[in-house]
Amino acid sequence: MRIGIFLLAGAALLSAQQPPHEAGDMKAAAGLYMKDSAAIAAGEENFKLVCSGCHGITAEGGRGPNLITGRNARRASDEELFDIIKNGIAGSDMPPSPLDDPKVWQITAYVRNLSAPAYRQPLKGDPAAGKAIYYGKGGCANCHMIRGEGGYLGPDLTNIGMDRNLSQLREGLLEPNKRFTEGFRPVIATLADGTQIKGVAKNNSNYSLQLLDGKGRLHLLDKRELKEANFQEKSWMPANYKDKLSETEVEDLLAFLAQQTIRAPKDSASEE
Amino acid sequence: MRSVKFPAALLAASLLTVAASAQVRYEDILAAPSENWLTFMGDYASNRHSPLKQITADNVKNLTPKWFFHINEARRLSSYPIVYDGVLYVTNSNEIYALDAVTGRQIWHYRQEGVEMQRQNRGAAILGDRVFFVTSDCHLLALNRVNGAMVWDQSYADPKEGYHCTVAPVVVKDKLIVGVSGGDSGMRGFLEARNAEDGSQAWHLWTVPAAGEPGSEGWGPKTLPWGGAGTWMPGSYDPETNLLIWPTGNPWPDFYGGDRPGDNLYSDSVIGVDLDSGEMKWHFQFTPHDVWDWDGQEPPVLLDLEIQGKKRKVVVQANRNGFYYILDRTTGEFLHASPFVDKLTWAKGIDKNGRPILNEGQIPTPEGVEACPTVRGAANWMSDSYNPDTGLFYVMTLEACDIYTSSAKEPEPKTGFAGTGGERPPGASGQFILRALQPETGKRVWEYPLTGPTSAWAGTLSTAGGVIFFGDDDNHIAAVDAKSGMHLWHFNMGQPVFASPITWAYRGKQYVSITAANGVFTFGLFEPAESTPIVDTGRKP
Repeated sequence: MRIGIFLLAGAALLSAQQPPHEAGDMKAAAGLYMKDSAAIAAGEENFKLVCSGCHGITAEGGRGPNLITGRNARRASDEELFDIIKNGIAGSDMPPSPLDDPKVWQITAYVRNLSAPAYRQPLKGDPAAGKAIYYGKGGCANCHMIRGEGGYLGPDLTNIGMDRNLSQLREGLLEPNKRFTEGFRPVIATLADGTQIKGVAKNNSNYSLQLLDGKGRLHLLDKRELKEANFQEKSWMPANYKDKLSETEVEDLLAFLAQQTIRAPKDSASEE
Repeated sequence: MRSVKFPAALLAASLLTVAASAQVRYEDILAAPSENWLTFMGDYASNRHSPLKQITADNVKNLTPKWFFHINEARRLSSYPIVYDGVLYVTNSNEIYALDAVTGRQIWHYRQEGVEMQRQNRGAAILGDRVFFVTSDCHLLALNRVNGAMVWDQSYADPKEGYHCTVAPVVVKDKLIVGVSGGDSGMRGFLEARNAEDGSQAWHLWTVPAAGEPGSEGWGPKTLPWGGAGTWMPGSYDPETNLLIWPTGNPWPDFYGGDRPGDNLYSDSVIGVDLDSGEMKWHFQFTPHDVWDWDGQEPPVLLDLEIQGKKRKVVVQANRNGFYYILDRTTGEFLHASPFVDKLTWAKGIDKNGRPILNEGQIPTPEGVEACPTVRGAANWMSDSYNPDTGLFYVMTLEACDIYTSSAKEPEPKTGFAGTGGERPPGASGQFILRALQPETGKRVWEYPLTGPTSAWAGTLSTAGGVIFFGDDDNHIAAVDAKSGMHLWHFNMGQPVFASPITWAYRGKQYVSITAANGVFTFGLFEPAESTPIVDTGRKP
C-alpha cells in the first residue's frame, strides 16, 4: 500500500518537476529495451550489483519489496518503473540510481520480465492435456476452484495465470512447502468435546480462529472453545507431484494453469 | 398503519432454512432482516427496521465497541455491510472483505486488479453460495462467499460511454438489479437485470428515452443522448405487484436547462418496473426540469398507510428537493406532498398533480442565485427508516441553501461539465436535523438537531428495541429513543461517516455495525473480558 502511494507520489513529483524524457522518447526507449533478451540479461547483471542489497539476489525481497510478486512492480507502467529506478522514491529508502539511462532501462526490462505473469510467458506444454490432468490424475479440483467449481482448501486458481509467473506456478506445484501462504495455513482444531476439525486457517489470533474445512464450512471459533489448534508444518497440498507427474505432464499442467485468467488485459506496449 | 409484511409461513420456512443450510435463498432476503442483514436496505421495502430487541432504549447505554476493521486504502467509505451467518461483507472501491462479524477478523479479501477508476462503492449482495459487487468500471462480480473465489465477472456498462458504477446490487429472486452512475458528466442512464447464475443480461431499461419515444420531446438534441437519470442507488421491491420501485438521478447538464427545455423524463423520478420483463409500468417525477441537481435517489420506502380514511399501498420519499411525497406504489398516483425542511424557497408547494408550483427568481444564473434546499439536498441517499411500533418515519434532513450558478456553454459530455453548480453562501454551512415524521401527513413529531459541519452522509436504522441509531456529522454514531428523540447513547469514532448503521445477531447476541470513513465499527452490549488460554501448537514458519 505504502509503496503504491510512494510510487504514485514519486511519479507525480517527477513529472511535475523534472520530466526526464518526453513521453514519446520514453515509449521509444521502452520499445527498444523491454523485449530484448540481451538487455534483460544485462539488466540482471546490473540488478545483482546495484539492487540486490535491498531486493535480494533473486529479487524476492528483503529490506525492499519482492519484485516478482509485488503488486506495485506489476502495476507500474514501463515508464513509471524506469522513473522509480532512475530517480528513487522520495521519502522512502529507495535511492536514485547512479547508472546511465541505457543501464537503467536494462534493469527496468529485467524487473518487468520478472513480474510478467505466466499468461504472458512462453509455454512448452499443451493446455488441453493439462486440463485433463487438472481434473483427472492431478486431483487439483479437489482443493482448488476455477470459476467457482472445485474444493475449498487451496487458493482460487481462476486468475492464476495473471497472478503468478511461470516459475512461481512451477514452485507452487512441485514444492508446496517452500513458502507459507497466509490464509491457507493447515490446522487441526480440537473442540472441548474432543471433536476435531481439519482445514485451513483463514485467520488466527490468540483469541479466535477462522477455520475453513474441506467441505466449505466456515468455523468461527473463539479460542476459549478450543482444547487445541494444532498448526501443521506441511501444507495439505500433496508434495509428490514431482514423482506423480512426468516432466511433460508438469509442463502441460502449467500451460493449463497459465491460461486461467479473468479480465486478461488487452495487449499494450507496457504489457508486451 | 403498518409496514409491508410478508406471509408468516414463508418467514418461518426461511428461518429454518437459514439455520439448516448454508445457502442464502430469495425467501430469506424477503423475510429479512432478522439475525442476518442480507441486502443493502435490510429489506425490500427499505424500511430499515430490525425486529431485534436485545438492545433496548433502557440498556443501549451499555453499548461498547467490539472491534474496528481498518481498510487500508479507504478514505471515504460509503458502503453498507451485509451480514450472513456471522460473516460480515464490506466493500471499498474495487474490493470486498469478508470478516468474522463477531471478532472483526478478516476471512478473505478480493481486490480486482487493473481497474484504474477508484469510485466509491455502496456494498455487496448475497444469494446462494455467492456474494456480488460492482467495480468502478461497471463490472458485476460473483464470488464464492466462503472463500472469495471468483465465479464470474461480467461487464454491464462501458466507462467510455461516460459510466462508472457504485451501486450495491439488489438480489430479487434469481436476478441481480444493477444501475449506473455518471449523470453529472453526461451519460444515458439505465437499470439492468442480470441473471445471478452466470451474470448474463436478463433485461435493460433506459431511464432516458430514445429519440421519438414518449418523453424524448422534453429534451434537446445536445442532451437527449447524454441525459443522465442515473440509477446509482439500490431501490425497493414490492413482491405483491412484482414491481421494482427504483429512484433515478438528475438530468444533465445539472444546472443549466436551456438545452433540455421540457420535463427531462425519467430524471429525478421513481419508476415502477416489472421484475420479470423490465417494463416500466409507471413513473412519477419529483423535480421536472431540474436545474439544482436534486437526484431522486433518496430511498423509496414502501409502507401500507391509511390515507384520508382509505388503506393505501404507498411509497414514501423525503426528496432532495425538500418535499415529503406519498405515492400509490401500484400505480404511481400522487397522493400527498409537504415540506419537511424550513429552508425551502424554490417552490411554493406541490399542486394536486404532484407538480411543483415554482417561485420566481430561483433558477440558477451566471451571476448566481440563492435557492433552498442546498445542492446537497434537504435529504440525500443516506437511509431513512420506519418503525411499525411507533408508526414514525425517521429521516436525516439538512436545512441549508446554496448560491446556484449556471452556464449556457455548449454541453460537452464526459468532461466533468455540469452546467456549473451550487456553492455554500459565505459562513452558512446549514444544519442537519434528525426528524421523526408522521408518515401519513409528513407532520414533524420530534427533531434532534446536530452540530457538525454538515459534511457527512449518514442515515438511520430503526429497531424493535425502541432505539433509532444514526451517524451524525460530528464523527459519532448515536442512539435516540424512537418515541421521543431523546438522546440515549453515542460514541466518537474519530472519523466522518458516509453510511448508515445496520444491526444483526449471532449466537444469541445483537450487534450494531457502521462503516466510517476508513473502516467498519461494530458495537455490542458490555461483557467483561475472560482470560483466553493459549491453545496453539506448532510454530509459524
